[in-house]
Amino acid sequence: MSLGRYALNRLAFGVVQVVAVATVVFLLVQALPGDAAVALAGDDPNPERIEQIRTSMGLDRPPLERFGAWLWGLAHLDFGTSIVSGRPVSAFLADGLAPTAVLAVLTLVLLVPLSVMVGVLAALREGSRLDRALTSISVGLHSIPEFALAVVLIALFGVQLAWLPPTAVGVGGDLLGHPEVLVLPLVVLLARPICSISRLVRAGMIEALSSDYVRHARRLGLSVGRVRFAHALPNALAPAVQQVARTTDWLLGGVIVVEAVFVIPGLGTTLVDAVASRDLPVVQGLAVVFAVTTVAVNLIADLVAFRLSPRAVGVR
Amino acid sequence: MTVVHVEGLRAETDTRTLVDEVSFALAAGRVLALVGESGSGKTTTGLALLGEHAAGVRVSGSVTVRGNAGFVPQHPSAALNPVRRIGAVFREIGDEAAIATALRRARVPEELLDRYPHQLSGGQQQRVVLAQVLVGEPAVIIADEPTTGQDAITRGEIVAELAEVARQGVAVVILTHDLDVVRALADEIVVLRAGRVVAAGPTDEVLNSPRDDYTRALIEAQPQIQVPPAAVDREPRLDVRELSARHRSAEVLHEVSVAAGAGQCLGVVGRSGSGKTTLARCVAGLHSTWDGSILLDGTPLSPRHTQLTRVQYVFQDARASFDEHRTVLDQIARTSVRLRGASTTEASALALEELAKVGISSETARRRPASLSGGELQRAALVRALLARPEVLVCDEITSGLDTITQAGLLDLLAGLPCTVVLISHDLGVVSRLADRIVVLDKGKVVEHGDAHDVLSDPRHPVTIGLLGHTIKEAQK
Repeated sequence: MSLGRYALNRLAFGVVQVVAVATVVFLLVQALPGDAAVALAGDDPNPERIEQIRTSMGLDRPPLERFGAWLWGLAHLDFGTSIVSGRPVSAFLADGLAPTAVLAVLTLVLLVPLSVMVGVLAALREGSRLDRALTSISVGLHSIPEFALAVVLIALFGVQLAWLPPTAVGVGGDLLGHPEVLVLPLVVLLARPICSISRLVRAGMIEALSSDYVRHARRLGLSVGRVRFAHALPNALAPAVQQVARTTDWLLGGVIVVEAVFVIPGLGTTLVDAVASRDLPVVQGLAVVFAVTTVAVNLIADLVAFRLSPRAVGVR
Repeated sequence: MTVVHVEGLRAETDTRTLVDEVSFALAAGRVLALVGESGSGKTTTGLALLGEHAAGVRVSGSVTVRGNAGFVPQHPSAALNPVRRIGAVFREIGDEAAIATALRRARVPEELLDRYPHQLSGGQQQRVVLAQVLVGEPAVIIADEPTTGQDAITRGEIVAELAEVARQGVAVVILTHDLDVVRALADEIVVLRAGRVVAAGPTDEVLNSPRDDYTRALIEAQPQIQVPPAAVDREPRLDVRELSARHRSAEVLHEVSVAAGAGQCLGVVGRSGSGKTTLARCVAGLHSTWDGSILLDGTPLSPRHTQLTRVQYVFQDARASFDEHRTVLDQIARTSVRLRGASTTEASALALEELAKVGISSETARRRPASLSGGELQRAALVRALLARPEVLVCDEITSGLDTITQAGLLDLLAGLPCTVVLISHDLGVVSRLADRIVVLDKGKVVEHGDAHDVLSDPRHPVTIGLLGHTIKEAQK
């Protein structure tokens, strides 16, 4: 199977996945306890007032009809309007997107080279003190949940030593203008994925370095660097690429926690607020955005992995 | 001109001596065979020519190589990087002119350069590795077991390639235990046993009038093709008519018709990729996209349960066909429980009885697969299949990877079976011992089918002739 055909197949599958996720999100939101109308009606609601709000928001229409209308809107990139503030959902997305994208992209940009470096270093020094130290740190760090790590780092570097700002309060959405506020959130987001990915790179690299094709390449007179990085490394990366994609899924969850802890006004914070105020269109819109991101990232990772291991698909 | 000179080579670890006082010399354009079974020290000697040794091995003595030494490893498929295109690796090891020369010398067509290793045939992979080694203009090439596990046609091609390289003035050292190849290719031979030279000299002299017992035993252990007496015609029990099978959209079997009677053995031979295994999988109900008919005693095979009982399959890789976490006995007894409705105790007793017949004690059977040898597991797998009391037993390359003595024992077991046996192999030496009828497949088509006596004594099709090893003998100087 060629790369192009594989990409088309995976793309078609991705569209199905997004529609399926949209359906599930809609059903789950329907099943949420509580009602926006009740929440909006204030502290002392009377039934007529609630009914009035419900009619004005279209909540009295049958679920299937509302689902159809919502999907139709999605297909035209219309996410609907917030039932709490009346702003379009797309405005919420636009506001939160920049800080979240900055966090996620910076994490990924740092994640890949750092974990490859750590993994390759450990593999080349297999069994050495350095390798053992990296292994111990990885296992230890990987078992600390991000909210706990975040709180410890804030207490130590933000409060005790006061080297870095403890939260992003006062910075607003302009994170890049104040890079110092990004340090702790990025450390928290990177800590766990670096551990798991560098372990995979290390294992793959060790296996590749002892393979027949690496021995053969050495005997053909290729330089040490070329044997390591042009012959062994590509074979070691294929499993790690898949893990990077899985990490990106996880990262979307991690971003929500990190944004909440460090008070960053991104999509995560928007989602938490929307759930608290039963702002269903915003919750649904964000869930779809997260789903599309996840599907897209996995699609890209699959294509990269396909390119890295040409045997993986299409033979036999 | 002497290219390789080895004098008093010793290699030892802390506990044992791997190579003990080995000496030989080789001139440009000549071929030397280092012959011996595994553990004889031939690989250690070969690596010493490259100046390499395994960790913990001390090497002494003198090894002189005038020029570069190139190494062609045993499995070319493992020596080619799966994620790199052929051409990209060539461009790393040499300039354009050197690559073009090497490709021509190893007869590798330019269009292979755009491919990945998995898109090449086994023979092409072998030639690519040879060409890579030739880019370095080696004075001597060491080829490690170049023909092991290959069918006779591929073996013939490898012999021709190496002979061509020698003709171009390169000294060639082959490490092998394949005496057919040695006879066809080598000018000189050094027979190694436990690291010592037991015989050395010109190939014809050493092999035609062996002076020592070990060389004599090696010559006798070489499998020979024997032509069996003509078989009696029987009513077909297994009758396959115009079977065509597909993998996805590619047709891998084309209108194959074969038949075998009760108690007869049908040998299915062909090169790898010829459709042998697909044919067997269709008969066993493991492959579903096929047209035509498969009749057992005149009625079409019904799928699922009945077919499982009536047709049993023994796989090539015995170890992979066992669950590594359960005892061998459990897994073997399960056949009777699942397919014949026996109680667990009955089934265990029966399994133990049958296992004892093939020389597996109850103590061995109660262990997990990891502590049994490959030969033991293959016998156990055979018992597991036979406990279903099948009418047809399919054996897919079950002797490949076993040493000659274990192989003979397994074939003796098969010879005494009352059921119809479908024996798949690329080795006509194996098939000729058992088969009453032989079908030769090539690219999914039957190219020869008939009584084993006729096919073996008067082969018609080039593939059959090739598989009989005639090509190797023709390449003989």
